[in-house]
Amino acid sequence: MANFLAQFQTIKSSSDHIVISVEDVSGLWPTVKKGFEERLPFKRACLNNKTRNSVFVENLPAEFILTTDARLRSRFPHEQYLFWFREPYATIILVTCEDLDEFKTILKPRLKLIVQNDEREWFIVFVSRAHPSNDQATKMAKKVYSKLEVDFSSRKRERCCKLDIHSPEANFWEDLDFKIVESIRNTLDRRVQFYEDELRKLSEQRFMPVWNFCNFFILKESLAFIFEMAQLHEDALREYDELELCYSETVNVPGKQRDFGGLERGDEQAALLNSGNKPLNEIVQDDSFREFEFRQYLFACQSKLLFKLNRPYEVASRGYSFIISFSKSLTSYESILPFCMREVWVVTASLALIGATSSHYKEGLVALDVEKEFHRLEGDLYSLCRLKFMRLAYMVGYGTYLERSPVNSASLSMLPWPKPAVWPSIPPDASSEVLAKEKMILQASPRPKHFGIQRKQLPLEPSILLREANRRRASLSAGNMLEIFDGRPIDGVVSPSNKPHTAAMVRTNSIPGNFESSIDRPMRLAEIYVAAEHALRNTISNPDLLKSLSSLEEFEQKYLELTKGAADNYHRSWWKRHGVVLDGEIAAVSFGHGNFDLAAKSYEKVCALYAGEGWHDLLAEVLPNLAECQKILNDEAGYLSSCVRLLSLDKGLFLNKERQAFQSEVVRLAHSEMKQPVPLDVSSLITFSGNMGPPVKLCDGDPGTLSVNIWSGFPDDITLDSLHLTLTATFNTDEGVKALKSSTPIVLNPGKNTITLALPPQKPGSYVLGVLTGQIGKLKFRSHSFSKGGPAESDDFMSYEKPVRPILKVFNPRPLVDLTAAISSALLINEPQWIGIIVRPIDYSLKGAVLHIDTGPGLKIEESHAIEMESHTDVMDKTTMENRSLGKKNNCHSLKIEDGQVEFPDWASETNSVMWIPVRAVSDQLPRGSSSVDSHKRNIVDGMRTIALKLEFGMSHNQIFDRTMAVHFTDPFHVSTRVADKRNDGTLLLQVTLHSQVNAMLTVNDAWIDLQGGFVHTGKGDGRPTSGFFPLAIASTTRAGILFSIRIGKVSGDEANRLDADTILNIKYRISGHRTRGAHPPVKVDSTKSDDTEQDLTFRSALVFQRPVLDPCLAVGFLPLPSSGLRVGQLVTMKWRIERLKNFKDEVLYEVNANNVNWMIAGRKRGHISLSPEQGSRVVISILCIPLVAGYVQPPQLGLPDIKEANISCNPAGPHLVCVLPAALSSSFCVPA
Amino acid sequence: MATTACFIIVSRNDIPIYEAEVGSTVKREDAAHLHQFILHAAQDIVQDLAWTTSAMFLKAIDRFNDLVVKLFLNLVSIHTRLMLLHDSRNDDGIKSFFQEVHELYIKTLLNPLYLPGSRITSSHFDTKVRALARKYL
Repeated sequence: MANFLAQFQTIKSSSDHIVISVEDVSGLWPTVKKGFEERLPFKRACLNNKTRNSVFVENLPAEFILTTDARLRSRFPHEQYLFWFREPYATIILVTCEDLDEFKTILKPRLKLIVQNDEREWFIVFVSRAHPSNDQATKMAKKVYSKLEVDFSSRKRERCCKLDIHSPEANFWEDLDFKIVESIRNTLDRRVQFYEDELRKLSEQRFMPVWNFCNFFILKESLAFIFEMAQLHEDALREYDELELCYSETVNVPGKQRDFGGLERGDEQAALLNSGNKPLNEIVQDDSFREFEFRQYLFACQSKLLFKLNRPYEVASRGYSFIISFSKSLTSYESILPFCMREVWVVTASLALIGATSSHYKEGLVALDVEKEFHRLEGDLYSLCRLKFMRLAYMVGYGTYLERSPVNSASLSMLPWPKPAVWPSIPPDASSEVLAKEKMILQASPRPKHFGIQRKQLPLEPSILLREANRRRASLSAGNMLEIFDGRPIDGVVSPSNKPHTAAMVRTNSIPGNFESSIDRPMRLAEIYVAAEHALRNTISNPDLLKSLSSLEEFEQKYLELTKGAADNYHRSWWKRHGVVLDGEIAAVSFGHGNFDLAAKSYEKVCALYAGEGWHDLLAEVLPNLAECQKILNDEAGYLSSCVRLLSLDKGLFLNKERQAFQSEVVRLAHSEMKQPVPLDVSSLITFSGNMGPPVKLCDGDPGTLSVNIWSGFPDDITLDSLHLTLTATFNTDEGVKALKSSTPIVLNPGKNTITLALPPQKPGSYVLGVLTGQIGKLKFRSHSFSKGGPAESDDFMSYEKPVRPILKVFNPRPLVDLTAAISSALLINEPQWIGIIVRPIDYSLKGAVLHIDTGPGLKIEESHAIEMESHTDVMDKTTMENRSLGKKNNCHSLKIEDGQVEFPDWASETNSVMWIPVRAVSDQLPRGSSSVDSHKRNIVDGMRTIALKLEFGMSHNQIFDRTMAVHFTDPFHVSTRVADKRNDGTLLLQVTLHSQVNAMLTVNDAWIDLQGGFVHTGKGDGRPTSGFFPLAIASTTRAGILFSIRIGKVSGDEANRLDADTILNIKYRISGHRTRGAHPPVKVDSTKSDDTEQDLTFRSALVFQRPVLDPCLAVGFLPLPSSGLRVGQLVTMKWRIERLKNFKDEVLYEVNANNVNWMIAGRKRGHISLSPEQGSRVVISILCIPLVAGYVQPPQLGLPDIKEANISCNPAGPHLVCVLPAALSSSFCVPA
Repeated sequence: MATTACFIIVSRNDIPIYEAEVGSTVKREDAAHLHQFILHAAQDIVQDLAWTTSAMFLKAIDRFNDLVVKLFLNLVSIHTRLMLLHDSRNDDGIKSFFQEVHELYIKTLLNPLYLPGSRITSSHFDTKVRALARKYL
């Protein structure tokens, strides 16, 4: 059966659709052919699939072939079953007959003969050529057709239909379609059944020695092909799947060694999508097929069907796993296959698969997740291809141009080297190529890592190629390894120092004559490259791939294409990590080509990915590259931020030296010529927090200092030119925050630094740390992060969410200190007195406080005397007070006053204290005594003095407490006088009462009166009381009286001047009070005087004496008014009688004053009257008046302007008001009409 | 014991919060990098898988040559992933390892001073994980 393979394949390729045979009995085909073929392909043909479920096939292609056609006639019967699929699925018998007899005699037997072969599905199409107008012919045709139906149609199946050429019935074509499809369906079912039976039989014998896979294959594929022809691709695919399964089960039967295949030229080009790559009969081996070709063939068939089913996604998915598993098979046969066959095959297979699937794939046709998955697979294919391509490139010496990134390293370093039986040896005439490779190796110095990072490069090879290649050479034993490394440093990592040396050595070794003997000595790296290149040239038949490996430029182009493809597809599959990582590879190539802009963009993406997810190890690989790009691009901001990010990575990732290099870059840039200040976020590098413990507490308006811990992630000390730290109020965020400044340069050591910042007065509230900003050169940095107080590395992302501890609390304004007067009772006026001021700090230190004392008018400080200050508790303590009264001074401190300012001593900063200020209230006014007549009482305000106090305290005297205090000063006594007795001889007994005004004991030692003119003391003395009365003690608020006897004396000429002066009461007294209670002995200004010679104080008070008024010259009397009363308009005579009491003057001037409105006066208002000088002479002055207004009015007054009022005695005095009645009714005004 | 194994705990924000090389082979200098890279790339797969399964233990979500990435989803603290990159064949051991480490991780979470999602710096945790690795892997 295997012999039919070639034939089978040709048949298969020639017939790909269903055949319908046409038995043209009556030569009608040319007439109806057109109409029939118009029906092709069949629409919505209902067929049965393998599981006998009906399936609608949208388009079923078919072909009508006459039975007389050579294609159907030339077949041998034995081929029929084997290639049954190409046999007709239906037979249409075209007949016509217009004569019943003819039908019976000729046509019927002939038809019977045709249809006797039961295996065929047939039906008869009766064509009526009768014209509709020809009734006879039409009738005849009908008759014949009915006869035909009777003979050939059965109840089960309608096998006849009639076509009227001239006027076809409306449903004829549908009927025809139905009949054809029905026949096809039946045939298909029968054939499928047949093949299945055959296959079952074969399967049963599978484990028998006679079993032949080729037979099974032909049957199975025939079945699959039948399905495929019937457009039942799903079923066809299933057949191929089963076939593959069966093959994989049978191919590796132990004990049967078969050829694998793949040794022919061109085999390395994957044929996994090209089923016609090789004729099947060429790959037959024994009773089966060669694995290498056959598995690809099967996959090609499957993928073809899948593409027909429009499932490119599945092709990709199956293809990927196929490539993986096939690659494994290739590995196991690697020793017999050409060098690097596996790698090349995978590259070509992946590329072919990518090309085919992506060209069949249309966006948006499938569900989103399928689309994602498709792109993912494409990405996988690309990266697989890329990986193998890189491996090939490495073998031919492009390894130094490959980026040693984690992705390349991870894939390549775990991928084993190819394991050929014998490593290819160098061709004899390749010396020039070896030289070229040597040159390339020497030229391609490994790209220097930026910042002088001396990390070990990631490997791109599972083991050293030099060792591997030499080991695999048959002639070399492992013992020669030392020799290998002697000449060349390992793997192209050339240290600069021994470069020339090696180069020289290489040259001596590469003279052409040596190559024959090179079998025995280990190959050098360049030789390995050349050998591999030659071997690959033998392996690879694909010109594209050869070209891609031929030069560095071509390689890079291909590499870029693959990388881009992979990255792009991964991005579209939402596998961002895969995609972004490959972007990084593209960036590396761009970087190599000097396309730094693109490189920087891609590197940024990679860095963002790693940084965002916190994979520091990986970030540390890429970030230096990004930094380098930015440096070259002169992107200062970016470069700086990259440097900062490098510094803020885990410390273990870089050596200290490298970190120092980063820092020096930052510092160098910061101090370089930058156009404008560059802002930079250093949150990850410089972190800060407040001190542990409770927040700093400040009173409103107080400045303070805030100490902040700053962790520097810099490896070395770094100088910050200035530092600003904002405080954010927790109560009100939109208020403009003020920064705390420290403009002096600050040097940050690595690790924790404690910085103290001056804190200007803040508004009340609680504050948290805001942002740290500052400047390094022209670099404006900014840090938002707060460290928890632990080391700087523990900056986890959650710390932002943590409620931040307040660092500063500023309290609402409250009283911080109180100044009150120590006493409320009055002090002595005009004497130096202590004013006590109690200073009471309220939970606030008064350290360094200064008190400004400003005395009001009438009060002055006795500056010659020091201010005293003592503790308040001492003052209140009784024993101390007693001590004080005994003259002992305890804990009393003297303070100096300068310019009205007193500085507080330190001891008084926390405790209540009393400050004693010596003052003197000055009053020029002499106190006046009061008498029963002149009850003048001194106003209390007169003794009031104010003292304005201003206390400046707090950290920098920022707190100010103002208070104006009223201090009451008074005289020691208030004096009141009373005439206790008055004798006829003018002697008066004057009682002087002394009221004590102060809260202290007063002792009167002496008292006397300096009398005013007109008064004299009785007796000869000076009027002092008997000295035995003194001292007279007067307790506070008590009274004492002293009697003086005086008399009115003559007023002499001299004394007339003293007439107006006051009488002065002089009292000498002492006071024994204490300053804590009130008035006290005056401050001794001159402290040299001893306490014993205490001076008496003198109190002087003016007493008002009035000489008795007993000197009237004239008496004026107002004569009574008429009893009838006064009326308006009625004349009245006002009369005054003046009587001379003393001989005084001859003429008297009088004057009558009256209100013009009220009175009309007739007569002389002013004039002299002559009065006889004798005592008792009288004269009456009368004036005629008319009252003008009714009511109580003031009567006219008589005045005597020349005579003093004291000399006039009014007896009785004139009335103040008189009653004026309204005018009487007058009839003269009431004239009747 | 597996010759190569890299254990990592990834928080739900894809941030590695704990890493440990627990293989028995002498640690290659560059191995950590590669392992990190592989595990990081596997996050792509995890993100797809995590929503499709309710199982906590996912076998072999990714293969990288001989190395296999295994995953243990921690449902307690949403989608914290315990991931192991290894070349061991001992599946049961790995499962037990995951379970015990998971328990350890829960204990760590219960620590009031541990901020969920932050790096696990506890040396005790580290010691325990390494002991478990020796025991099971």
